[in-house]
Parts: sequence; C-alpha cells; structure tokens
Amino acid sequence: MKVLLIEDEKTLAYEVEAFLKKAFYICDLAHTARKGLEMLGVNPYDFVLLDLGLPDLDGLKVLQEAKKLNPDAAYIILTARGNIEDRIVGLDLGADDYLPKPFSLLELQSRMQAISRRKFNVNTHELDLGEFKIDLQKRIVSHSGKEIDLTRKEFDLLSYLLLHKNRVLTRMQLSEHIWGTFADDDYDSNYIDVHIKNIRKKLSAFGPVEWLETVRGVGYKIRK
Amino acid sequence: MKLISKLTLFITLSKLAIVLLFVLTLPYLIGGIARTYTDYYLRQQQEKVLDVVSKNGVESYLQGEESYGSYTMLKEEYISLEPVAKGFKMDTIYTDERIIEQDTLNYRVLTHSFPADSGTYLMEVGKTIDTIDQYNRPLQRIATYVLLALILITLVVDLFYTRYLLRPLGEIINTKIRNRKFPFNENSIPVKTSTTDFQYLDTSLISLMQQIHEAFEKEREFTANASHELMTPIGILQNKIENLMVEQEVTELVQLRLIGMQRTLNRLKRIVHSLLLISRIENEQFSKKESVTVAELFDDVLDEINHRLSEKEISLETKLSDHLLLVNINRDLLFQLVYNLVNNAIRYNKSNGSIRIWDQLNPDGSYGINITDTGIGISEDELGTIFNRFKKANQSEESAGYGLGLSIVKSIADYHQIKIGIISEISKGTTFTIAFPEELVGSGELRMES
Repeated sequence: MKVLLIEDEKTLAYEVEAFLKKAFYICDLAHTARKGLEMLGVNPYDFVLLDLGLPDLDGLKVLQEAKKLNPDAAYIILTARGNIEDRIVGLDLGADDYLPKPFSLLELQSRMQAISRRKFNVNTHELDLGEFKIDLQKRIVSHSGKEIDLTRKEFDLLSYLLLHKNRVLTRMQLSEHIWGTFADDDYDSNYIDVHIKNIRKKLSAFGPVEWLETVRGVGYKIRK
Repeated sequence: MKLISKLTLFITLSKLAIVLLFVLTLPYLIGGIARTYTDYYLRQQQEKVLDVVSKNGVESYLQGEESYGSYTMLKEEYISLEPVAKGFKMDTIYTDERIIEQDTLNYRVLTHSFPADSGTYLMEVGKTIDTIDQYNRPLQRIATYVLLALILITLVVDLFYTRYLLRPLGEIINTKIRNRKFPFNENSIPVKTSTTDFQYLDTSLISLMQQIHEAFEKEREFTANASHELMTPIGILQNKIENLMVEQEVTELVQLRLIGMQRTLNRLKRIVHSLLLISRIENEQFSKKESVTVAELFDDVLDEINHRLSEKEISLETKLSDHLLLVNINRDLLFQLVYNLVNNAIRYNKSNGSIRIWDQLNPDGSYGINITDTGIGISEDELGTIFNRFKKANQSEESAGYGLGLSIVKSIADYHQIKIGIISEISKGTTFTIAFPEELVGSGELRMES
C-alpha cells in the first residue's frame, strides 16, 4: 500500500513515516500542499493523509484538488483545528476519515485498516487466531463454526490487539481506543484487566488462548 | 424602592408638611396683620380727634360736660375723652375686654393723653377685634382646600417631569444591565439623554462592558490558540514514544519509563482537550438543533460508565421519564454534561455507595434531573468555586482530576441555558440538579409517580 503524507510539521511527518514503514506501508512525504498535489499528479497512491493546516493552501481546497487528481485514493484528514464544521465539510468533500491531532499512530493504523477493508475490499475480513476465527466485517469471533458471544467493547479490544499483533499495547492505549475522549485518567484501575479476563474466560471454554499474553507492568499483546 | 417612588413620596410629604405649617400659622399671621392695620386705623382716628381739638377746642366734644364718650351703633368703635391730672402722660395701644350691655367684647384700645385748653385730657379710641377672629376659621379652611388642590396639581406636574427626567436611567438599566448576558457580545447603543450624569453613567457602563468583552475575547482566543499550538508538539511526542516502545534495544526498564511518560503526556493531552472544548463551547461552535430522549441520553452515558459502577460496587437507581424528548440541544455536549456529573458521582462516592437519578417537572415549566450520590460531599465554602477551572473540590482526596470536568459541565449548561443547582452535605453526599428550561423540553410523557 502506498501512502502520501502531506504534513508541514516535519518531525511529526517523520514519526508517522517511520511507523508506517514498520507496518509495511510505502510512505512518501510532502511538506507543502503544492508539493503534495504535484506528487499526487505523478504517482498513484492508496492513502493520502492530509493535514488541514498547511501553510501554503487551505486544507479543504487541497482535498478538493487532490480528489480530482486521484479519486481512487482513500483520504484521511489530520488536523489540530478539530472544528466540527471542518470535520463535516471534510467528510462531505469525500474524505474517508478524520483524525484530530494529537492522534495515536496505532489509531491511525486501525483507521487505515478499516478503510482498506471497506474501500479496497482487502481480503482480511477473516483472520485466524489460534483455533479461533475473527471476522472483522461481521464482528464475529468463532471456533470451528460456533459463534462466541462477546460484548462490543470486548470485540473492540480483541480486534485492536489483533491488528497490532506482536506489539505490546498499554492499558492506556487500549482504554483510549475503547473509550476515546471519555477514557479517564485512572489507568491503574482494572477496567481493561476485567475485560481481558472476560475475553479469556469466554474463549478458553472453546480452546486455548495462550496467544493473548499479559506483559507484566506494561499491558497486553497478541503473539502470532 | 424605586427612585421615582422615593422622589414622589418625598415631594408629596414635604409639600404636605409645608402646607400644614402654613395653615397652622395662618391665624397668627392674620391676627398680626389685623392688629397692625387696626393700630394704624386707631392712630388715624387719634389724629382726626386731635385735629378737631386743635381747631375747635376740646369743648366741641365736651360741650360743658365733664367727659365725653360715644359708641357707634353696633359698638364696633368708641371714643372717650376725660380730664386727667396735669402732667399725666400716657400713649399706648393694648387689647382689653370690655363689658357693654352684657356683651363681652374684645377691643383694641388706644389711650393718648394730650394738653388742651387749660387741662390735660386722656383720649381713648377703641375698635373691636372679634370680627377679625370670626374670619380665621373659614379662611383657614379655604386656604387648606386651595393649597391641597395646588399640591395635587404640582404633584402631577412633578411626577410627569421626574418620570421624563428619570426615563434614561431606566433605559440604561434595561439595556445595559438587566437584559445583558455575559460576556456582552452585542454592541451597546448609547442612551439618548441631555442629563450629563446619565450620559456619564451610560458611557462608563458601555466602556466597562467593552473592556470585559475584550478581556474575555482575548482569554478565549488565547485558550483556543494555545490549545491548538499545543496539540502538534503533544502529537509529535506521543508518536515518538509510540515508535520508541517497539524498538528492539528498549529494555523492560526503559519501556516502563516510557509508559510513565506516555501517561503524563496523556494527562497534558486531556487538559488541552478540555480547555479547547470549553473555548469551543464558549465560541458557540456547536449546533443546538438536535434532540434526544432522556432514556437515550442516560443509556448512552451508563453504557460508557457501567464498568466504573461495578468496580466500585455502587448501586444505581434511576427513575426517569424515558420518553421525554429534549429538543434544541447538542447531543454530544449533553452527553458530556451528564457523563461528567455521573462520573463525579461515582468518583467521589464511597465503595458500596449508591447513586439515585430522578426527575421532576418544575412549576415554572422547566424539567429537572437530579443526580444524588452518597459520596464525600462538598463543603459550603467550596460550593461557590467548584465550577472554576482547575479548582478541585476535596483537595485531600487522592482521586486524580484536573478540575475541568465541572467547568465543562458549566459551559455546556450555560450554552443551553440549563440551570445547575447543588445541594451538598459533607460525608453525606451531593445532589446535582440540572434544570432544562421550557424551550428545551419537547413532547413526551413525564414519568408518572409510582
């Protein structure tokens, strides 16, 4: 997958680039809107990550132009402005998602994955997880054809861990994903632990769940 | 009491007092005037008599008699002449009582001694003053009527004039003070008046409001700008830490440190988020065209917050008019408001405590929702400041909070013109009441009391 990141804040751009490269994306950077549009005219991209607060052109105008140059790409707006209107206009103009700054790279990847599934019909709907199968589209976990009943939050947790498999996710990262801005500040509390415990209990009735590891003092990860 | 009432009352009373004083002193005044006039009259009579005596001699009166005395027909006046010892001197005017034919009459009497012919004679000229006293009562009465009528007329004039005079003041109060909402966004039009005091008051108020407005704008702008500017570096740091966490060389110890950093950074992020949210609400950047039923609202909140309830083993009892529709609101903001209040009710509750949520329709048409906890409570002197930014009630408590939750609640409530009430008792619990004004209450049945 080819990604174009149009972001004037260089340090931020490099971090995103580094992260995406690790996640096996090919990533190009543009630090101005003009440069970004130029690159879009030459190369096809699957994803365009567009900062709305660019110094040379109005972000929403850039989006319009970019959509003309490359209508097939998926557009994710990144912005520190965070206006509700921006969001509505952005989505109206054909952006696929909207991520307010500051955002977590894990969240960015999760959104990109969701768009891939939806837009590019990438065949990753069903994933194997030990003896279990996870259907991200239908939001179902099953074991040898038998559906396992998980709550919405439990499923979110499991799929987020699965998306970032082999990576330890902290309790904070997990609760931020699940509760968003409503995640409270008391991460030491055991909400996440309780949910994980429930997931383990429900799944282990069907098969082993040793792939869901607790990393002491840090958080959880799925080893695959 | 209003200024105009005070003025009217004062004017009326002072006028009445003056009139009363005048009416009471009227007899003395009239008496004084009558006496002066009578005395003058008596002196003239004396001159006439002396004139006659000097021309025709005293005998023209005495006509051989020892003395002379004469009354007018109705005994209103009299004159008498009689000889006195030689060298006797007297010249006075006095009031005296005389009994004439069984009538006691008050006379003003002039006595004057004069030499004539061979001897000295004493002349007495008298005039009754009873007739004067007879006029006093009716005069007093008439004066009272006339003056009262005059008072009435002047009062009406005064009233109209003071009203006209004070009208600008009322206008200033209405346009500048009573109907203005903080932070005085709309422009003020100066009130037209020729009274310099009012002009001064008006311009002072306008400039004060302008200053408040500007200061508030500046603060708002600063908060918004600062928050935006902070977002990017926070984002960079967050992403750097995220990338660092998965580096091969990072040991377990470093990883734990990184988590600590992440946590602090997240705290910063949340503060900036909250400030930004408040400034956006104050900038009126949210639409208020949505609606939500009470049930939906609370279900959403409880769905997000249930895990906290069960963790602290807090029981929850809700008695709400589920189908009541709240209109002209922003759903996200209302969610945030209720979420923050319920979250506080949990956070500051004790283990195994309880939370009660119930509603009622108030007599003024507003709809109130009450959230009562059995928590630590808020002391009286803290009640006034709990909505201030970064002010955290119960500083001693270990619970982490940045004191922005209730500020957000306040901003959202103000934005929707929702009234918030608090009743609290230390270590017993707190009740927050949010009262939705009539305009926000849509259709739907209010829960019947069961």
